[in-house]
Amino acid sequence: MLSAQKGDSSAFAALVRLHERRAYAVARAIAATHEDAEDAVQEGFLHAYRALDRFRPEQAFGAWLHRIVANAALDIGRRRKVRDADSLPENVALPMRDPASDDELRRRLVAGLGELSQRQRSVIVLHDVEGFTHGEIGSMLGIPEGTARSDLHHARAALRRLLADLWSER
Amino acid sequence: MTFDSRIGPNGREDDITNALRRLYAAPVDEDYWSDLAQRIMTRITNESEGDVWWQPLARLARVGVLAAGVALAIASIALTRNRTADPSLAYETLTDTPRTSLLQIAIEPDVNTEREATLRYVIAP
Repeated sequence: MLSAQKGDSSAFAALVRLHERRAYAVARAIAATHEDAEDAVQEGFLHAYRALDRFRPEQAFGAWLHRIVANAALDIGRRRKVRDADSLPENVALPMRDPASDDELRRRLVAGLGELSQRQRSVIVLHDVEGFTHGEIGSMLGIPEGTARSDLHHARAALRRLLADLWSER
Repeated sequence: MTFDSRIGPNGREDDITNALRRLYAAPVDEDYWSDLAQRIMTRITNESEGDVWWQPLARLARVGVLAAGVALAIASIALTRNRTADPSLAYETLTDTPRTSLLQIAIEPDVNTEREATLRYVIAP
């Protein structure tokens, strides 16, 4: 880290290799698509590189980077929303990675996630899929921990309600 | 329709979580990550190289901005002083001029009045 701060690009490359997967996970939880998540990761690392002199060594690099990547993903989401405002409703902006999948739960889950707000969607993915704590999520998304907790509760309840009929069919 | 409700103790919750994990799964191909890291570093290198030619210009721009700031500050100070000076000058002009005129009237003899008096004396019966 210190070498990277002194301008050693190979040291920063090592940081990229070490953190890119987790950074992608953060970005993917917030971004609507894999492509947007990838852009957010690239933007995030670029911002982090530019801001290296402001990084304090006593901080955890991962947490610092995740906040930057999350902001990049949120920015990309806002830009996409403005761009798509006239053409696409929000609830279809979550394409599946594998369009050929016939997994009913997966299909319904995509539809259910489309019913959630963007923040609720991010919170449930960051918590339930990626295992971040409420505090970490709050810090990443710039919201109080209690709000992250409440968003998670509402997101889970909404998904349970939207997918309830799947279990009643069993 | 069958879902594996045996995964974990909470059945359907775990089904949702597992479906979410599949949906948001990161690419597993190692080449993908190598390529992404490479692209990130390429962007950073390009930016750094861009900085090299831009740095002297950026330094000049900074000096220019600083000079403009100083000039603006000097102009503001001069303008403020000018504004402060203007009312006092106007006040002095307003108060001094009549005072001088009155003084002149008091000191200088009134030529017209003397002439008039002489004329009256001459033509008087």
